[in-house]
Amino acid sequence: MSERRLDVDREQMGRDLVSLVLTVVELLRQLMERQALRRVEQGDLSEEQVEQIGETLMHLDARMTELCEQHGLRLEDLNLDLGPLGSLLPRD
Amino acid sequence: MTRPAAASDGRLAAVPPEERLAVVSPEQHLANVSPEEHLATAPPGEELATYVFAVCRRRVREAAFAGLPGLAEGAPDRPEHPVRTLRFGALTAVVQHVPAARFTEEAWQQRLADIRELERCARAHHAVVTVAAAGGPAAPLALGTLYHGDDRARAALESDAERFHAALDRIDGHVEWGVKAYVAAGSSSATATAGTSTGGEAGAGASPRTGTGTDVSPRTGTGAGTGADARGGSRTGTRTGTGGGAGRAYLERKRGAHRDRAQRHERALRLGEEVDAELTGLARAGRRLRAHSQEFTGRERLQVLNATYLVAAEREAELRARVESLRHRTGARIEVSGPWVPYSFAGEV
Repeated sequence: MSERRLDVDREQMGRDLVSLVLTVVELLRQLMERQALRRVEQGDLSEEQVEQIGETLMHLDARMTELCEQHGLRLEDLNLDLGPLGSLLPRD
Repeated sequence: MTRPAAASDGRLAAVPPEERLAVVSPEQHLANVSPEEHLATAPPGEELATYVFAVCRRRVREAAFAGLPGLAEGAPDRPEHPVRTLRFGALTAVVQHVPAARFTEEAWQQRLADIRELERCARAHHAVVTVAAAGGPAAPLALGTLYHGDDRARAALESDAERFHAALDRIDGHVEWGVKAYVAAGSSSATATAGTSTGGEAGAGASPRTGTGTDVSPRTGTGAGTGADARGGSRTGTRTGTGGGAGRAYLERKRGAHRDRAQRHERALRLGEEVDAELTGLARAGRRLRAHSQEFTGRERLQVLNATYLVAAEREAELRARVESLRHRTGARIEVSGPWVPYSFAGEV
């Protein structure tokens, strides 16, 4: 009985795992982005550095979107409900 | 006893009001019985347990409950064990015998995991509580408050008599109103000017989800006049040549989006506070509940307040007038539900 249920759920489990991994990656990406924005606002980066960081983050962002599409997820699906703490990633 | 995830999140909107299901969590309620009072192990065969719905101060006519199935399964018109009253001290409990084997801890877990069964129980519980409260204050107990028979129930309730008296004093002549306030989700100020589509190689695909209103237009807005927004690059910032565009533009767009979101959240917070303060002003007590996430409210709106208030029964018109004026003043969507038996205020406040 329990084995059969496992079989049925295996595919779902795979999807959940992908979604979890992507959620963590997206969290890191957003943290980097925030950090970058802070640095830029502090104004101690050269124009070239700003441009470079911006482009890198932009590509990461695009790559995340692609990855999500490949796995049939939407970016806004990537999140964890932390109960009373709210959600892991900000929702708009 | 754990509460099913669904219970706190309003999916059972059919059960009036959703928060009521929070009573499944006994720890905050008068039903705060020690765990051993719950039927932890399956008792043999025909043993009956005593389910307690509510506690009243006065005598309650048992006839009032005729026709209510209570927790009896199959919802019969004339259950084998009808809803009845149980005196203890100066108080009256509204109780029902249920087969103990069907109400073990384990059975409850199963029941609470089954959303329909949970709804049936919650509705049945609510129906009895409503009747109990019809003629005077009734302190509802948590869904699933059970004792090993009448004697145990009486002893446990008796030991809590003081708290029941305090609760009944508090809710006497009062009703509970649920209030939820929403604002439209998404951008509050900006119209989505900063198109993602403008950016050729850069914008397209890069951030389809950030396309909602950022008030910094990345491609066009970086001109001379924007020095005011304290852009870090203001030293070098006048150099907005197209060559340095894509990366910086992306960051600007993100910064705009972040700022926009921060403003929105702050506004939402303020709005929630404003509504709460206004209504607390006429309530005897109020409780803020965790706001529902957008999974339950829908993406198009953001819940900024989920609260419940204990209000004197005769102040209903006043409450509605205040809500109406709040609607006009703030533009928020405010939903009011009630009047309810004061479930949220029957325990500790």
